[in-house]
Parts: sequence; structure tokens; C-alpha cells
Amino acid sequence: MLHTRIVDIKDDKILIDKAEKFISSTKFGASIFFTGTVRNVNENKKVTGITYDTHDELVIKSFEEIYQEVGKNLKIADKAVFIEHTKGYLSLGDISILIAVACKHRDQAYVLSRYIIEEIKKKSPIWKKEHYEDKTTEWLKGKSIINEKI
Amino acid sequence: MKIKLELFGASREFSNKDYLEFEIKEKTEIKDFRKELTNYLEKNFKGNKDFIRIVERSAFCSESNNIINDNYKIIKDQKIGIIPPIGGG
Repeated sequence: MLHTRIVDIKDDKILIDKAEKFISSTKFGASIFFTGTVRNVNENKKVTGITYDTHDELVIKSFEEIYQEVGKNLKIADKAVFIEHTKGYLSLGDISILIAVACKHRDQAYVLSRYIIEEIKKKSPIWKKEHYEDKTTEWLKGKSIINEKI
Repeated sequence: MKIKLELFGASREFSNKDYLEFEIKEKTEIKDFRKELTNYLEKNFKGNKDFIRIVERSAFCSESNNIINDNYKIIKDQKIGIIPPIGGG
């Protein structure tokens, strides 16, 4: 069971309650909520906010593929996964990503949550532009996905 | 043929708009289109090395949202997305 969405911060925001409802089931004994938030320092620079940019269709496609891979790579058959990522300008402390997972057992849930965020970092076309206290901005250098299949 | 190149991430600095438009020859391959884009940057941004490096390290995606390789031939007017190195989450 999978839910994915790109949340445009102009119109909406990520709500943990919604994720809780989606993954809730008596068949699962463990759930984990991972949130990524905007922090105030990166590489010794004082950050005031981050603009997130996304290729929406490719991001959703990558989330679906990561979910499919879980079945093959982690062999976790019964699971609920909720992934939402924001786009637009976020201030310090705002949630950029929420990954909520539920599985039968806690060891599966920890592994699954970690697997999903690491794969998103590698595969999902999402970009960050940091805004600094001195009013400058910088797109963060990322990983090239030439020759990757999404 | 007309190509509308949709800009994402760091490549958004290439224009004030969300896209760039190019007139190219039929069956241009992505590797040649990459050169077209580099020429545009040479001309409009005095060969800004950071921008050219972004193009070198970028993937491209088709209108049907598939990552396309350097040998992909563009055979009709279409939208293409440039996918610079990623790192969100």
C-alpha cells in the first residue's frame, strides 16, 4: 500500500496526521515517521531557508519504483508506505519530506524507512537552493543521474 | 524542429523563464543537443564554467518522463527536461 504526493507549499503543507491515518492497521505492529526539516547551518554557512524544486512526474515515478524495489531487495511483503515531499520555499524547521512506514515488526520498519530515504537521495529528481543570512543563494551540488534508469 | 527545454534545479539560472527554446535539425541526438546548449551558454553567459559543468553532468528526460541517453534521437517537436545532479530530501 503506497501513497505519494508532491506538496506545493504555496497551496498546502505536509500533515503527519494524514500519514498516521494512511498507514494505520491492526495487521502492523511497528510504524516509523521520518521527517526531513530545514536546518540553520550547512557547511558553516548560516541558512535561512531552502527552495525545493522537483520534476513532479519523475519524482512520483521514482517513489513508485523505490516501493516496488522494496519487495525485491528487502523482501518485506506486508507494508504501508506514505511519502510526501514539498516544493517551493521552506523556512527553518519546516518539513520538506515525510516518510511514514508500517510493517509487522520493528526491525523491518527501521530498515524500510532508512532504505526509502537513502534511495530518494540517490534517485529522485529533487533540488535544493539554500538561502543564506547574507541574502545570497546557492543550488547545492548533487549526484549526477546520467545513465540511471528512472 | 522546435525543442522546448524545461529547466530544473541549478539549470533554472540559465533563463528568467522556466524553459529555453531551440531550433534544431531533425534526428539530432542528445549528445549534439548538449553541445547546442553549451553554445547557448557560451554566447549568453560568456562561457560560465559552472553552467557548462552543469550541462556536462545533467541527464535529460523525454516528454513521456523517461530518462534518455546521449544516443536518443529527437525526431519531432517536443519538450525535453534537463535533470541536473540531484540531492533533495
